[in-house]
Amino acid sequence: MTKPKSVEIRAYQVGFGDCFLLSFVYSARKKKHVLIDFGTTALPKGAKGPPSKHMPDVAADIQTACRGKLTAVVATHRHADHISGFGTDAKTGKSGAVIAACKPDLVLQPWTEDPKAARNAKSATNGRADGKSRSPKSFVAGLTAMHRIAKEIHDLALAPPDDLSLTVTKQLRFLGEDNLSNKSAVENLIAMGSRKGAKAVYAHHGSNAGLGKLLPGVKVRVLGPPDLTQTEKIKKMKSSDPDQFWMLLGSHAARDGMLAASGNGKGGKQNGRRANGLPVPPEARWFRDRLASLNGEQLLEIVRQLDRQMNNTSLILLFEVGKKKLLFPGDAQIENWSYALEDAKDAKHTQKLLAGVDVYKVGHHGSRNATPKELLWEKFTKRGAQKGKRLKTVMSTMPGKHGATKRRTEVPRKSLRDALASESDLTDTETLGFAAKSPLCHTLVIPI
Amino acid sequence: MPLRNGKSPANRRSTKNGANGRRASHPPSIAKAALPATRGMWVVAQDPGVRRADGSILMAKIQVPAEDLAAGPMGYRVQVVDYDTSAQTYHGRHDLPDEHGQPKAWAKGVPKRILSDYRFHAQNVYALVMKTLARFEYALGRRIGWSFDVHQLKVAPHGMMDANAFYSPDEEGLVFGYFPGQGGKTVYTCLSHDVVVHETSHALVDALRERYLDPSGPDQAAFHEGFADVIALLSVFTQLELVAELLSRLARKKKPHGFLADEEVSAKSLGQSILFGLAEEMGAEIDVTRGEALRRSVELKPNRDLLSTQEFIEPHRRGEVLVAAVMKGFLDVWTARLEHSKIRGQKLHSVTRVAEEGADIAACLSTMWIRALDYMPPVHLTFGDALSAALTADLEVRPDDTRYELRKHMLAAFRSFGIAPSSGEPGGVWRKAPGNLSYDRVRFDAMRTDEEEVFRFLWENRGPKRLNLRSDIYTKVLSVRPCVRLGGDGFVLRETVAEYYQVAYFTTKELRARGIDVPQGYVDALERAKKEKQNRRKRQLGNGAAATEAGGAGAEGDAADEARAEDEARADEKELTTPIYGGGVLIFDEYGKLKYYVTNDVLGDLQSVRLQYLWEYGYLEAGRNGAHFSGERLAALHRQRAIDSRHFSGHGW
Repeated sequence: MTKPKSVEIRAYQVGFGDCFLLSFVYSARKKKHVLIDFGTTALPKGAKGPPSKHMPDVAADIQTACRGKLTAVVATHRHADHISGFGTDAKTGKSGAVIAACKPDLVLQPWTEDPKAARNAKSATNGRADGKSRSPKSFVAGLTAMHRIAKEIHDLALAPPDDLSLTVTKQLRFLGEDNLSNKSAVENLIAMGSRKGAKAVYAHHGSNAGLGKLLPGVKVRVLGPPDLTQTEKIKKMKSSDPDQFWMLLGSHAARDGMLAASGNGKGGKQNGRRANGLPVPPEARWFRDRLASLNGEQLLEIVRQLDRQMNNTSLILLFEVGKKKLLFPGDAQIENWSYALEDAKDAKHTQKLLAGVDVYKVGHHGSRNATPKELLWEKFTKRGAQKGKRLKTVMSTMPGKHGATKRRTEVPRKSLRDALASESDLTDTETLGFAAKSPLCHTLVIPI
Repeated sequence: MPLRNGKSPANRRSTKNGANGRRASHPPSIAKAALPATRGMWVVAQDPGVRRADGSILMAKIQVPAEDLAAGPMGYRVQVVDYDTSAQTYHGRHDLPDEHGQPKAWAKGVPKRILSDYRFHAQNVYALVMKTLARFEYALGRRIGWSFDVHQLKVAPHGMMDANAFYSPDEEGLVFGYFPGQGGKTVYTCLSHDVVVHETSHALVDALRERYLDPSGPDQAAFHEGFADVIALLSVFTQLELVAELLSRLARKKKPHGFLADEEVSAKSLGQSILFGLAEEMGAEIDVTRGEALRRSVELKPNRDLLSTQEFIEPHRRGEVLVAAVMKGFLDVWTARLEHSKIRGQKLHSVTRVAEEGADIAACLSTMWIRALDYMPPVHLTFGDALSAALTADLEVRPDDTRYELRKHMLAAFRSFGIAPSSGEPGGVWRKAPGNLSYDRVRFDAMRTDEEEVFRFLWENRGPKRLNLRSDIYTKVLSVRPCVRLGGDGFVLRETVAEYYQVAYFTTKELRARGIDVPQGYVDALERAKKEKQNRRKRQLGNGAAATEAGGAGAEGDAADEARAEDEARADEKELTTPIYGGGVLIFDEYGKLKYYVTNDVLGDLQSVRLQYLWEYGYLEAGRNGAHFSGERLAALHRQRAIDSRHFSGHGW
């Protein structure tokens, strides 16, 4: 059992989310299984039931496929569409308990999920304002603050004021939900990692993924996310402190909500626009209405930015099996990629390595900013090659949930999807459908 | 919180007479004393974080143009609308007290009253917006209309719960957010002098240079933000109360009271104690709104290579360099000036004198930079252009610079940050307009106000050796503005400032034929967009043809096909075009002769570099209808500043 003979990749139907089971086949009887992400934020229309019904089915299928034993569980980042399935509460039908029963030997997450960092990060810190450089503590506190903001934005979008447009409300609801903290899932991931005999690894660019002995004949490189010592080093000058921004916004979200009239009991809309205060005189009404729509845009901007920042905490993993290279970047966006491919000391070497990738898990469900076009996609040498040698791409996505075609931000982005379809062998979970007899996953076999 | 409502503003005005809202005490037929020209209003000197030793907020009384204010307050240029969209609450029209009826707590800066009195907040924003407008009008010698087509700028002092404040041209107003600070106390951005002046400056720059929000080069993107910071910080330092207070903290016990030692007024010491000292005191929470312009201006050390680094390509970082250069100039002028104010033999400086010099220099510099706007090209501004414009504008109105040597110090400070004036003329000032221009067919009077007449002048002198106006390119005179300024000799200086812009839509081939390089990635993207459009049309036409067939149309169908083919051909041509912009500013003297002609040629050398930059940083995109520029709203820019976001080239789909 020294080298895998093939790798099976199961891409599960989780609607808008990611769930991939990698099975390293050493012999007909001996396989090792790594689960990369298990989450959803939306299931397609016609779904057999809510996530609480569907996710346990997926979990059961994973359990069967791995015969009750997982070598490792990877949670690329904390977004709901990547980890909600690890939850053990009713929301996802306790699907996380099924995964926990598979007793993974290793739970791999980005450094930002290290509970040690989080423990110190409960209170807001001044970060740069007190002259100190940005610390992991303030960074993680910033992430925690983002959850609070997301929660308030999500609550607001569930009971929106009249003047918030439908489009904005829908986007706020979707992005808000994806950025909610998944307490149950997070706790289960920690519990799985602290099980006796198991190991929890919190990785960053260049660190050891801890899979060496667990997966013989497989080399796993961690290409992202960079940690703070790495990103701060590339800056010549001090700049503003983003953590402080999120913490401030988070503290106000927790205390007052993103809109005082969001039905949180601290304001309360009573009668159309005239919730509180005095009647709005004629000369102020036009501006009042404009302010309301501006506010929607501002909230959307905030939630987009925090969504992006969380995506950038994604693990980027490269599995080298024999001569084959499999790239799993979670939802990493350009800032995360840019460190590995441009700023890091070994950036040139990494570029060279990635040029030869055989299987690429399309980043962030095919969004416009997660597969850097010039830096990554155009450098894949196996793009457009003949069958057999051709690049294989796997995408888990669901259209109509994220972004807008008009703004060219729809997910999956059409031009990217066209390129994937014409220049690679694309496996797309959307084609699985969601009918009664639809399969739960696509399975790709990569011979080594 | 004294609030009133009920009567419409028109009704309220009818009960008032004269400035300051005093009631009429005599019949209108009797002659009255002249109305005062200004009205003193208490404002927070910087922000509520800057306190006196006794814990009170440092306040300043500023003079703003007096007017017959309606409740709101609503004046002839500003309408305060105290509506909070987050709480969906209208706080009512605020009726401001007259100058002598202002509560004592406002003058004293009693924290509780200042923070909780929304009427004071309304006064604070109204006064600072009007003061900034007055400063711009004074410097430019004319009234300035907003960039939108209404007289009154709307201002929301508590517009929404957000750690942001911004100018929004579409909403015709300024929005100031509020948010809970670290101690749980609410931070009101409308109470920060620099934030209010910063946002007002955005509105005024937009009014004067409407194309500066367009995507262009890295400098133009950074200029709006940097310039607003410059005006805001200089505005803070024009307040004598504030500068004196900051300086008085330096005075140690050993010295005679009210005096400073030599070493305490060095550029380094003033930088640390006044600029950095104030930055330290400003409410730290509000840094997320304002960035940390003042702190950065001290921290950024002169470095000629800074602007060419990747880090300072980002607009919000690049703007910091402009601020640092101007603030370095400010300190250099101030310390040089203090050399003269020293008490001989004692190496001591009077605090009052030092403060007065500082506030005067800040005011002078502020005027210099505002005047510079008139001398800046209307499109594609670079920092070098801005510097040449400032030097020229200052030379015109204040030829004698021996007292402060502002121009010398400004030039040196900018050079230390690697910014050279765009003009190669001595002193970095713009070159005088060509002397061979024809004025025979234009009329002097009309040239002072009439856009058609100025265009005629441009047209008559369009030749390459004259104004070199590309006659085959669409040209529009954007504005013609007569200005009256007071010269250093006490005489009135009359000038007329006119600006025009040009735009051409060229195909890639046409651009290349004119010597403009087009990034290959962009050309490929245009080709892809074109194919996509053609396929789409084919699909649509396919459906249409089927429908026609079903309807049994004969000759009519042929005609329709031909028309479609023509449409398609036109669409193909249109699809592949990219707009390029140019323009210029013309400064006429009091005799109607052209003094300066500052232009950015629509086919100039820098267009290739610009297109490359715009493409690389994602501001230029290829769409179904040809090139598409995506500018950034100022609100978004502020947010990027707060979270220090970075642009990446060539990654998007």
